[in-house]
Amino acid sequence: MYLVPLFPLLGAIISGLFRNQLSKTAAGIIASGAIAASFVVSFLLFFQVKSGGAIAVTPLFTFIKTSAFTIDFAFQVDQLSALFLLIITGIGFLIHLYSTAYMHEEEPHHFARYFSYLNLFVFSMLLLVMGANYVIMFIGWEGVGLCSYLLIGYWFKNTNYTAAAKKAFIMNRIGDMGFLLAVFYILQKVGSANYATVFAFDGFSSTDVTTICILLFVGAMGKSAQLPLYTWLPDAMAGPTPVSALIHAATMVTAGIYMIARSNVLYSASEIAQHLVAIVGLATALFSATIALKQNDIKKVLAYSTVSQLGYMFLGLGVGAYTGAVFHVMTHAFFKALLFLGAGSVIHAMHHEQDIRNMGGLKKHLPITHITFLLGCIAIAGVPPFSGFFSKDEILAAAYAHNPIYWGLGVAGAAMTAFYMFRLYATTFLGSFRGTQQQLSHLHESPISMTLPLMVLALLSVVGGFLNVPEVLHGNAALHHFLSPVLTSESKHSLSHSTEYILMGSSVAIATLALIFAINKFSKNPELGEATGLGKTLANKWYVDEAYDAAIVKPLNSVSLLFKNFVEKGIDGLVNGSGKLVQYSSRQVRLVQNGQVGSYILYMVLSMVILFLLWWNQPILTKFIQKIF
Amino acid sequence: MNAIILSAIFGVVLMMASAFVSNRSLYKTIALACLVLLVGANIAETLGYSFFTIDTHNMLAFNKMGLFFNTICFTATLLYVFISSSEIERVDNYTAEYFALIFFSLCGIAILTSFNNLLMMFLGIEIMSIPLYILTGSDKRNLKSNEAALKYFLMGSFSTGILLLGIAFIYGATGSFGLESIKVGTLQMQLSILEVTGCILLLIAFAFKVSAAPFHFWTPDVYDGAPSVFTSFMASIIKVAGFYAFVKLFESRIETTSFATNPAVGVNWHLLFAILIIATLFVGNITAVFQQSVKRMLAYSSIAQAGFMLFALFSVNAFSKEGLYLYAAGYCLATIGIFAVLVRMKDYTFEGFNGLAKHEPTLAFATTVCLLSLAGIPLTVGFFAKYFMLAAVVKQGYAWLAIVGVLFAGVSIYYYFRVIAAMYFKSADENPAAVATSSTVKIGLAVVVAGIIILGVWPHALLNFLYF
Repeated sequence: MYLVPLFPLLGAIISGLFRNQLSKTAAGIIASGAIAASFVVSFLLFFQVKSGGAIAVTPLFTFIKTSAFTIDFAFQVDQLSALFLLIITGIGFLIHLYSTAYMHEEEPHHFARYFSYLNLFVFSMLLLVMGANYVIMFIGWEGVGLCSYLLIGYWFKNTNYTAAAKKAFIMNRIGDMGFLLAVFYILQKVGSANYATVFAFDGFSSTDVTTICILLFVGAMGKSAQLPLYTWLPDAMAGPTPVSALIHAATMVTAGIYMIARSNVLYSASEIAQHLVAIVGLATALFSATIALKQNDIKKVLAYSTVSQLGYMFLGLGVGAYTGAVFHVMTHAFFKALLFLGAGSVIHAMHHEQDIRNMGGLKKHLPITHITFLLGCIAIAGVPPFSGFFSKDEILAAAYAHNPIYWGLGVAGAAMTAFYMFRLYATTFLGSFRGTQQQLSHLHESPISMTLPLMVLALLSVVGGFLNVPEVLHGNAALHHFLSPVLTSESKHSLSHSTEYILMGSSVAIATLALIFAINKFSKNPELGEATGLGKTLANKWYVDEAYDAAIVKPLNSVSLLFKNFVEKGIDGLVNGSGKLVQYSSRQVRLVQNGQVGSYILYMVLSMVILFLLWWNQPILTKFIQKIF
Repeated sequence: MNAIILSAIFGVVLMMASAFVSNRSLYKTIALACLVLLVGANIAETLGYSFFTIDTHNMLAFNKMGLFFNTICFTATLLYVFISSSEIERVDNYTAEYFALIFFSLCGIAILTSFNNLLMMFLGIEIMSIPLYILTGSDKRNLKSNEAALKYFLMGSFSTGILLLGIAFIYGATGSFGLESIKVGTLQMQLSILEVTGCILLLIAFAFKVSAAPFHFWTPDVYDGAPSVFTSFMASIIKVAGFYAFVKLFESRIETTSFATNPAVGVNWHLLFAILIIATLFVGNITAVFQQSVKRMLAYSSIAQAGFMLFALFSVNAFSKEGLYLYAAGYCLATIGIFAVLVRMKDYTFEGFNGLAKHEPTLAFATTVCLLSLAGIPLTVGFFAKYFMLAAVVKQGYAWLAIVGVLFAGVSIYYYFRVIAAMYFKSADENPAAVATSSTVKIGLAVVVAGIIILGVWPHALLNFLYF
């Protein structure tokens, strides 16, 4: 079991330490091989879990031991983590493979550094999902945050990119604080952070559960880019595209979903927290979908779409459809990784051009990329029988059972999703080429190591949905049954089959309409000019960055300036003054040490006398001291 | 018992060796072999295999705590001899005798960790100290070494006088030398003012031995004047052994003679100790700041470290007990390591360390780790040593004293980091300042660094032995 995270860790250490010695090929093989090895082990583990079904907790060693609690460094592989293991290592491997070609222009030692970070990321992510208690999860949580920071700022010579990296790190830290507080709260109340102990604990009051759940959710907001902490994710697209695919679409950002799904016992006990999760998720889904409508950077569109899809997952968690949320994590990992890698392939072919207004007509130049990208778009738009349809439908159906308004807004978001995805598709691949002549002459399909992952992911995006065909469509809901031991029996929505058919039909119809409308609108005459009116607001992302800047950053800066100019001078004086005082007294005190034995003995005798005097007068002294303190 | 008898025998063996073995390079091999045997014999006794059964009439009492402390001291000595044997040979012609004296000192330490009687304690102190007077003056042709030896001897006799006076007072008051009987006696009888006076006199004598202010005056002159190899021995192993005896003596009576138990004549020990601690921290840290010679700075820093070890005396509880062991091990390691580098320098001033990182990166790195440990930076054992000491004080309810300790630890960063800054950020003016280092030294330093870091990450690697 410990082999799963061990391989990526070794890979990270080897390619990190020997980055100057390793050739590019060697670094690529070591890093990808490490992930492949851990994928194989995960695969075996998965079937072990599937057949055995028992939850296995393996303690490795005692990590922290105090009188109040003990925290073991322990791994837990159950149905939930086994599924995540497969997603992480499987998609991780494909993306490593893809990266060997995508990053090929880099210097050898930077190339190895990249793979070292990437392996370290996979290691941290595995730690996050395999930990058997919240503390180990937190270690992984921080680890993936660090790797995300390192990889966003991978091209560290560009100050914009390093600024984006810092933004991601700081936003995440705000969320992490919530998570950390939740862990402290749990430790304080339960005296253990083990999942099994915490979930079985019955001493929680309802306020306790709600507080813990909300604090945990604050952590999830940061990591999974929900309102109001989502702004780092679009900026995180500064990193290399495979990184966006792996970290900022398929795995790391779903850590928040994993955490809440893992804590489903707690959330089911707190209605307030569930409502909060659902509302924040829905708001994020709609909000970022509107922004995505008007973005022109191919990766930005995908980034906002990711934020929006994460919102759907939280909506699912909030309405108690834990399986649906986890299912959507899986299908989303397939098609969003596919879309990002496809975008990477386009960017690669276009020589780092990311503005879709300068693309168009790429259909005939990049045939494989085109087909796979199209499949990804159909999947995310929720057209049956592609994977996105099943997972999104499950969430929407649960939302309807909870509150029809949730459903209505969700469908509106889904329509926008279909619209902006096909706007993206049409502007990029259809129509005529709008780039420079030089770019046109260099257009080429990507090498096999890039297209192979695309094809595998496209296949998964198409068929992934059949893993969990709902009963209403005469499926066996395999995933649902597989996960049922670890997820609480959900408030089984009591919708009649006919209602479900109507819901499905209407959401599919609306999404399809939006899709066709977008293709028609943008394949012939894409919008190339600057947006106006509401469109401008959307293109500028509702001015959220500016609002944060004005509301938080600017006041902080001016306060900090104030401190710098006035308070710091005073503190400086105090600090430097005490330093000077120490130096001065040092110069004086050392003079006592004059080298004469006679005077030394005199001092000693005097000190003895003083000690005895102290003893005689200690009642007075004690009173005196008590008065001071 | 194993340790006491064997260390004395080994001392004699080495003296004989100087008479009968003409090959001088053999001495250190013999010394190392004897030390390995000594450590082995001591561990054997810890596990219950005592080679000698002698009735000491309850004057000595062996327990696991004391024996384990022996193991720490002997292992540290083994490491010390391993690193510094070539330097010991360089001091003068009497190599075998130096080793013999070190063994006699170890014999004194073994008595100090097991005394159950004030007279045995006195003997232990003297057996431990007298070889040091000789070692301090071993560089016979160097006037400074002679002066230091004489000073040490004069002031040492003065403190011995006080120690004896204290013992006499206690004997006069209770009619017994035994550690245990005094405890029982005082509970039954009225606490006599004479006994309290005796206790304070003992406190003063021990404060002298562990160089606590204001009885520290011998320390800088002696540490500075003695040959650096022997300073290393005195500042590390001897010092922590002194502390062990100090704590052992006082924990047996600190309660019965205290102000709280006997308001009439008892001592407010916390007040007295707090004054000693603050004075020691003040003198050690503040004076170290302005020193020009690293060796002299280390002498003052050893006073400052003594201030921290005094916390163990202030708060006699489980934390401080663990802290004392950790402090002993960590302080020995760091001091041995840093002196091993120091003796290889031509110039003992801070400027002498300039640019060391360039031409001797291994030495510079080892020095840095040792200094970080002395300063108490996390991931080194020094951090946990200080942590346990401060936690012990806080547990006793004296948070303000812990704050004072932390402030002075902050001052200590200044002079420790001066060395690091010199090594890494300044360039040497001319020829390399350190003599070439043999691989033995490098292996030894690697052990020191590994020890500091392992214990710094996992202090219970050591502390678990207290409870097995």
